[in-house]
Amino acid sequence: MIDLGQYLPILLFLGVALAISCVFVFLPMGVSRLTGTHNPTAEKLSEYECGFPAFEEPRSQFDVRFYLVAILFIIFDLEAAFLFPWAVSLDFTGWSGWTTMMIFIGELAIGLIYAWKVGALEWE
Amino acid sequence: MIQAIAFYLFATMVIASGVLTIMSRNPVHSVLWLILAFFNAAGLMVLLGAEFIAMLLVVVYVGAVAVLFLFVVMMLDVDMAELRAGFIKNFPLGIAIALVLLAELVLGIGALGAGPLELGTASGANAPNLANSNIENIGALLYSKYIFVFEAAGLILLVAMIGAIVLTHRDLKTTRGHQNITKQVRRNPKEATQMKQPTVGEGVEL
Amino acid sequence: MDYATSFGLIIPELVLTGSGLVLLMIAAFGGEKASRLVSILAAVALGAAGSLTIPALANGAGGDASMAFYGQISADAFSAFAKLLVYAAAIGCLMIAPGFFGQRRAMKPEYPVLVLFATLGMSIMVSATDLMTLYIGLELNSLAAYVLASFLRNDSRSAEAGLKYFVLGALASGILLYGMSLTYGFTGTTSFAGIRAAQEAGLSTGALFGLIFVLAGLAFKISAVPFHMWTPDVYQGAPTPVTTFFATAPKVAAVALTARVALDAFGSQADAWRQIVIFAALASIIVGALGAIGQNNLKRLLAYSSINNVGFILIGLAAATVEGASAMLFYLTTYVVMSLGSFVAVLMLRNGEGENLETFEDIAGLSSTRPGVALCLLALMFSLAGIPPLLGFWAKVEVFNAAIQAGLVPLAVIGIAASVIGAFYYIKFVKVMYFEEPVGRATKGGSAAHWAILIICTLLISPLGFLLTRGLQAMTDTAAAGLFPGV
Repeated sequence: MIDLGQYLPILLFLGVALAISCVFVFLPMGVSRLTGTHNPTAEKLSEYECGFPAFEEPRSQFDVRFYLVAILFIIFDLEAAFLFPWAVSLDFTGWSGWTTMMIFIGELAIGLIYAWKVGALEWE
Repeated sequence: MIQAIAFYLFATMVIASGVLTIMSRNPVHSVLWLILAFFNAAGLMVLLGAEFIAMLLVVVYVGAVAVLFLFVVMMLDVDMAELRAGFIKNFPLGIAIALVLLAELVLGIGALGAGPLELGTASGANAPNLANSNIENIGALLYSKYIFVFEAAGLILLVAMIGAIVLTHRDLKTTRGHQNITKQVRRNPKEATQMKQPTVGEGVEL
Repeated sequence: MDYATSFGLIIPELVLTGSGLVLLMIAAFGGEKASRLVSILAAVALGAAGSLTIPALANGAGGDASMAFYGQISADAFSAFAKLLVYAAAIGCLMIAPGFFGQRRAMKPEYPVLVLFATLGMSIMVSATDLMTLYIGLELNSLAAYVLASFLRNDSRSAEAGLKYFVLGALASGILLYGMSLTYGFTGTTSFAGIRAAQEAGLSTGALFGLIFVLAGLAFKISAVPFHMWTPDVYQGAPTPVTTFFATAPKVAAVALTARVALDAFGSQADAWRQIVIFAALASIIVGALGAIGQNNLKRLLAYSSINNVGFILIGLAAATVEGASAMLFYLTTYVVMSLGSFVAVLMLRNGEGENLETFEDIAGLSSTRPGVALCLLALMFSLAGIPPLLGFWAKVEVFNAAIQAGLVPLAVIGIAASVIGAFYYIKFVKVMYFEEPVGRATKGGSAAHWAILIICTLLISPLGFLLTRGLQAMTDTAAAGLFPGV
C-alpha cells in the first residue's frame, strides 16, 4: 500500500483552492441577492436578440484549423511527457539512453520542420 | 482505511462520470464529465503507486486530449435530436449487443476465479527494481530495453502529424490573395511608374 | 545483447526510416513539384531495403541468432520472405499512383512518404516477436493507412472510406489490446517465446479469452469473416491505387503476423485456435463467394474476392504444420500477384474524359475495345477462380494438400466445393467482357507503368510462370521452417 500521508499537502492545497474559488463565485451572487431587488418574470428571463426570438444555436461551428493546432499540441505534449522519466533515469541509461531521446526528438523535429514549411502553423 | 475510502471514492466517481459522459444531452457536457473521469482515474493511479501514469493522465488526457475532444465537438455541430431518433430506432439491436457484451463480461469475471492468476506480488518484489521511484524504473527500462519500441512510437507520432496536416491543412495562398506587407512597403515610385512621351498618333509600348 | 548486433539485424527497417525522414524533408521543401522525385526515391528505398532482406532468406535465418532487442523482434527467414512480398507490392502501388492522382491534380509528395511509413510498420509487424512490437508496428501501418484511404479529401466517398476504416480499425485495435492485456495478465510476459512456454502446461480460461480477443482483432486486420464488413466499403471508396495497396501489402503483413502469433505465441495450444481459424476460413470462403455474386462495382467485387482468398490462406494456417505455413505463403504470393494485376487492370479502364470506370456495364464487350487489358483480365480471373494451368490453381492445390496431410480432410473438401461457387462470378466477369454487346466506354487509360505491372503479373500467373513455382516453393519452405525453429 502506498503511504498516502505524502499527499497531504496537495490535498490541503486543493481544499484551500476549492474554498477560495467558491467564495469568489458564490459571495457576489449571495450579496447581490440580499441587497438588490429580485422579482423575475418570464419576459425578463427570455433571450433577446434585436427584437427577434433567437433562430439558431448560440454556439457556432469552429474552424477545422483549431483541430490541427490541437493535434500538433498533443503530439508535442506527449513528447514532453516522455522527457520526465528520461531525465530522472539518465544515471541508469547513460549515453545510450541520451542518444535514444535525441533520436526521438530528432524525429519529431523533422515533423515540426515539415509542419512549419507547409504552413500548418500559420493562421492567416 | 484511508486508502479504502479514497479508492471507493475515486472508483465511484469514475463510474458515475463515465455514465454521465454517455448520458448527458449536450456533447460539451459529455466532454466535461469525461475530464472528471480522467481526474478520478488519475487518483486511482496514485493509489496504485503509479504516480507517473497519474501525471500523464492529467497532463496528456485532461490537458490535451480533452481539449481536442472539445474542439471536435464544437466543430461537428451535432444535432442531438436527430441522434436520439437513431438511438430509438436501433434500440433493440443495441440491447442485443449489450447482452452479448454482458455475457462476455460475466464469463470473463468467472475466468478470473478459474485460471491461476500469477502476477507480480503487490510489493513489486518480482519486478526488476532498478531505482527508487517508479518513474525512474520506467525510464530505466524504456530507454534501455525498449528503445526499439520507443523510437517506433516516435514514428507513429510523426505519421499522426503528417496525417493531420495532409487531411486538414488548406493552402491559403492558393485560395485567397496573400498580402506581403514587406513587398508593399518596399514599392517605390521609381520602379512602379514609367515616364513615356508618345508622339501623336502612336500607341504606347510598355 | 549489445546494440550493434541488434541494429545490424534491423538494417532494412533503418533504411526505410532514414529514407522516410529524408523524403519528408524533400516533400516539405520541394512541394507538389517534388511528387514524382519522392515517389521514385521511395521505390528505390524499398528496393534497397528488399535487397538487404535477401541474405536472411537465403541463409534460412531463425532461432536466437536472428533475435534483436532482447527478443522483441526477429529477422528470420519467415519475416524476410514476408518483407520481400510487402516491399514488392508497395513498389507496385507507388508506380501506379502518379497517373491516377496526377489526373485529379491531387498528387502530393506525402503519398509516397505515407506509403513508406506504412511499409515500415508492416515490416515491424511481420518480424514482431513481442506483443508490444506487434502493436506498435500495427498502429504505424494502420495510422498511415487511414490517412491514405481518405487521401482524396474532397471526394466524399474517399473521406467516408477513411472514416469508416478509422472507426472500425480503432475498435479492432481496442479488441486486440484487450486480448493482449489478458494474455499478458495470465502468462506474465509479452514475448512470444514466454507466452508459448507459459501455456505449455495448459490454457486457463482467462488466457483462452486473451487468445480469442487477439485472434478477433487480427481477423479484422486480415478482413476474415465475421470481421469483414468494412472491406467492401473501404475498398470501393478509397482511391484505386490505395485500394490496390490495401489489398496487397497490409494483407500480407497481417496474415504473416497472424501466422506468427498463432504458430509461435500460441503454438503450444494449436487445438484451441484451430477451430477458430477453421471457422473463419470456411466463413470467409463462403461469404466472400456469395457476397460477390450480386455486386456491380468492380472494386467491391474484388473486395469480396479478397475476403474469399483470405479464407483459402487460413486453410493453410489451420493445418499448423511446416507444410501448411509454406502453402499459406505460396498462396499469399499468388494472391498478391493476382490482386495487384486485377486492380491495375481496373485502374486502366477510363473513358474519353479520363474518368475511371468501375462497373460491369462499363466493361461490357471490353474484348473488342481494349483487347490487351481484356486478355490480361481473362487470365487473372481464371487464375483467381483456380482454373488448372494457371498459378492460382497450383496455390489452391498446395493449400488443400497441406490441409489433407494435417488430417483436416472435411475442411479441404468443403473448401474445394466452395471454390466452385467462387468460380461463378469470376467467370461472369469474363462473360461480360467477351460475350456482351460492346458499349465502347473504356477507350483511354494506362501509362507505361500500368502496362508494365499488368504484363508482369499476367506472365507470373500464366503457365509460363509455372516454371518459377519450384523456386518459389523452395523459398516458402525455407521461410516456413524459420517459423518452427524446433523442427
